[in-house]
Amino acid sequence: MTKEIKISIGILFFGVLSLVFYWFYDGSIEPIKEDTFIEERIILAQYGSETYRNVPAVQAYLSELRSIIKRGKAVIPLGDNELNSDTRVVQNILLADEKFLKTTKKKSQLIHHDVMNIHAVLVSSLNSGLKEICREKQCYQAEMYNFVDNSTVRAIVNLEDKKVLQVEVFPNMQADISLRLRHIAQEIALNAPEIKKELKRRPRREEMSMANVRGALQGSPCENSEHLCVAPTFSDYEKEQALWAIIDLTELKLSAGKWAGLGKTTTPACISERSLQNRYIMKNFCEKDSYLERNGWKFAYRLTGSDGLEVIDASFKGESVLKSAKIVDWHVAYAGKGSVDSAEDVQLAGRHVEFVKGEKEKFFFGYNDAMGCPMFSTSVVLPFNAPLVKDLYDEKKNRVGFYLTQDYRNPKWPMACNYRYENRFEFFDDGSFRVVGVNKGRGCGEEAIYRPVMRIDMALGEKEEFYKYSGSWNKWLSEQSDFQREAKFYEQDKYLYKILNQSLDRGYYIEPNRGQFYDNSRGDNATLFVSKYKEQEGSKDLLTLGSCCNLEKDGVEQYMNENESIDGENLVIWYVPRIKNDAREGQEYCWADTVIGLDGNIKVQEFPCSVGPKFVPIKF
Amino acid sequence: MFKKYLPILLSLVVVIAIGFVIVQKKSTQKNLKVVDEPFNIGSFTKQKPCIRHPQFLSRLNVTQPITIDLSQQQFKGLAFLYGKNFSKVIHPRAWETFEHFSTYALDKEGNVFLAPMPFISIHPTTFNLQKNIYKLDSLTGKISIFMHFDEVLPSASNPYGIISLVYDCDDETLWVSAIDKSNYREQKGTIYHIDIKHKRVLQRVENIDALTLTLLKTKTDKFLLFGSARKNLLYAFKIKKQKIFKNLKIKLLELPSANERIRKIKIKKANHLELQTIPFSYTLIAETSNKNERQEYSVEWDNQLFQFKFLNK
Repeated sequence: MTKEIKISIGILFFGVLSLVFYWFYDGSIEPIKEDTFIEERIILAQYGSETYRNVPAVQAYLSELRSIIKRGKAVIPLGDNELNSDTRVVQNILLADEKFLKTTKKKSQLIHHDVMNIHAVLVSSLNSGLKEICREKQCYQAEMYNFVDNSTVRAIVNLEDKKVLQVEVFPNMQADISLRLRHIAQEIALNAPEIKKELKRRPRREEMSMANVRGALQGSPCENSEHLCVAPTFSDYEKEQALWAIIDLTELKLSAGKWAGLGKTTTPACISERSLQNRYIMKNFCEKDSYLERNGWKFAYRLTGSDGLEVIDASFKGESVLKSAKIVDWHVAYAGKGSVDSAEDVQLAGRHVEFVKGEKEKFFFGYNDAMGCPMFSTSVVLPFNAPLVKDLYDEKKNRVGFYLTQDYRNPKWPMACNYRYENRFEFFDDGSFRVVGVNKGRGCGEEAIYRPVMRIDMALGEKEEFYKYSGSWNKWLSEQSDFQREAKFYEQDKYLYKILNQSLDRGYYIEPNRGQFYDNSRGDNATLFVSKYKEQEGSKDLLTLGSCCNLEKDGVEQYMNENESIDGENLVIWYVPRIKNDAREGQEYCWADTVIGLDGNIKVQEFPCSVGPKFVPIKF
Repeated sequence: MFKKYLPILLSLVVVIAIGFVIVQKKSTQKNLKVVDEPFNIGSFTKQKPCIRHPQFLSRLNVTQPITIDLSQQQFKGLAFLYGKNFSKVIHPRAWETFEHFSTYALDKEGNVFLAPMPFISIHPTTFNLQKNIYKLDSLTGKISIFMHFDEVLPSASNPYGIISLVYDCDDETLWVSAIDKSNYREQKGTIYHIDIKHKRVLQRVENIDALTLTLLKTKTDKFLLFGSARKNLLYAFKIKKQKIFKNLKIKLLELPSANERIRKIKIKKANHLELQTIPFSYTLIAETSNKNERQEYSVEWDNQLFQFKFLNK
């Protein structure tokens, strides 16, 4: 065999071998990118309706609304600049027509409506009978929006005979907005501090387009799909992008903003404030930790999949205080009377209901509410807006610290069987802190018992000791629980428990809430548990913990082992307040209600209840 | 001189040629092409189904019309509704053993294959239940686990697993989708083609989150239609001789609202589909408890423009 033959066999052998290896080498197959969520930059609104009350167009609109309501009417008609001689007559006919005005009064309450447009009738709006009439006569159609019910009233008018031919109500439908509301939306966008900040200057009206204003009778792009929203845009043709300002015309404010591409493929068919929020929250608070340094405090925080807002690795003036603090669950139980089939499977407002037998012909039913990220989680109550940091004041209005808070809501709150919770962490300038659960109702009924399950992992060192005060301080040696609600003695009339490091030179008192924090609270009535730190016991996301409705157990019992020593161990405190709601007039607590206000619009009345212990540094 | 080096040249040519073919083939396998332009899937008609209702129903004197209720509103798991206004119910408690179901597929013998669904509250068993396809036996009416997928991994950050399935009358197989492991950044779901007889996976398409599946036979080809769980889009994969063209994902339709996801696809009549949509965000929030959030669309295939047009947008 010649040398060349040997070389060619070698080439064939190694060549084929390499190709076989290449064929079977899997490599890293990239996941398909085109279907991942498009990353536009989202701006959440920082200011409420009050910010826009002084905008002249808004001021004039609200003043006209008040004056109309005062006169016992509820409809803002189209202005002269939107009417011609014919449509003016049509409007006058309609504003005197009982059927057209039927929805403007509910019992004795006036309901805010706006006439949105009046124009020559469209054939597509007519049935065959009306088609016949309107072929012969001059017909007009008018649309009027109901701001309370989110419905549209449409009327067909025979102008020649001055007769209203038909009135129809379209629930959950929104008409093309009037020029006046369009102008108001533009004014709000032009005056929105968030928009100015984004554009780095005061925007000009001529750069704004309203191409994407409401299509006739389509769904709303608002966070609250029952609000009337429009989206004026500011285009930057050089950068091929546009800033969309979503304006809520029901509340007269900016709802959200969004930078998106100008191209057809990136211009969203429908912008939804909620989906914008979801993406913003996912990207900034679920996928990564955020950091805060303020008034001597330094910590990270994040939104978890099912354990709400979590504060991690907190220190005060360089000294570690907390490894983690979070509210892992809200148990919601309602009392009922009669017998119950525990195997029964019931859904209320789309949620699974658990039943537990109680004493004396009583039973409890309810839910476990996990609060978590708005997407990719086991959450049933969603975060609205991002976590906020605000100043904290005492009862004399002196600034004493700051707090970090996250609002969680069922989208339909405050409707029945929908909930709103706030997870709040208060940080005081003296090194104290408080873990607070706020409940804003409304729930399914008046006999509700709420139990937020708080998990607090202190960072006083790897070895910690726990004490309870009962006239003197007694050290706990093994895992156990205690009913705060039954306590009779408090150190300095405040402190019931304390946690110390093992060298006994650092520690915190635990001051249960008995209504002394000036937040109208009726107290914690809590159960406290102390367990030895174990990774699988809540250091990561906990799915719902225990039963919603077994009032004998809070769910944490499963981590209690009376033989497990906690003396000189890394400790975890579980604190489970117990709140009873109250719906009695004047006594409302953990409750929310909707009423029609004096301006004919819906007003939400909140009656929050706040619970949670304060941790106060011990001076040695 | 040339003759002397001919074997070396030939071997080089052979290796380079084979290498070229292999590189080409592998790169087409790796790169999934998305057809965004109008694609002629061809006109279609509603075909007579090969399936039947479970045989145990006739023993119970249950007559048509019969509907299978997986809404989970009144009955956990599965229920058969029949009689006038579907007022009569068959729902033994044993059918609640595997908790909640999302979709079903009947086969030629009347067996019902069921895809699971996590529903509002998470229990210790919930994640494991999402790893199975279930079967309601046509003769006995008993529900059991038909096939278990160890690789399906629901978690707190995505509680979903197997989510949809459809029966293929041509070869008596199942097309099944799972959307576990997907996260905010990446879709990691899988479509499986399952041989029912031998309970084995015949084909799989990876990195696809399909919330619903339907088979469609047109004049020219057969397609697996699927509604994306991540976007408001209806896609199709072509199937030829029961092999799926997994590298060619055809975009058929975009829903008007960015928040909608297609949950059900029905072939209503010739060239007409009915699409039912819901908001979907891989959480357990009961979005569909609000009826306004559910939409239904009728779409018609336009054989001139090669696209679906909305009849009730």
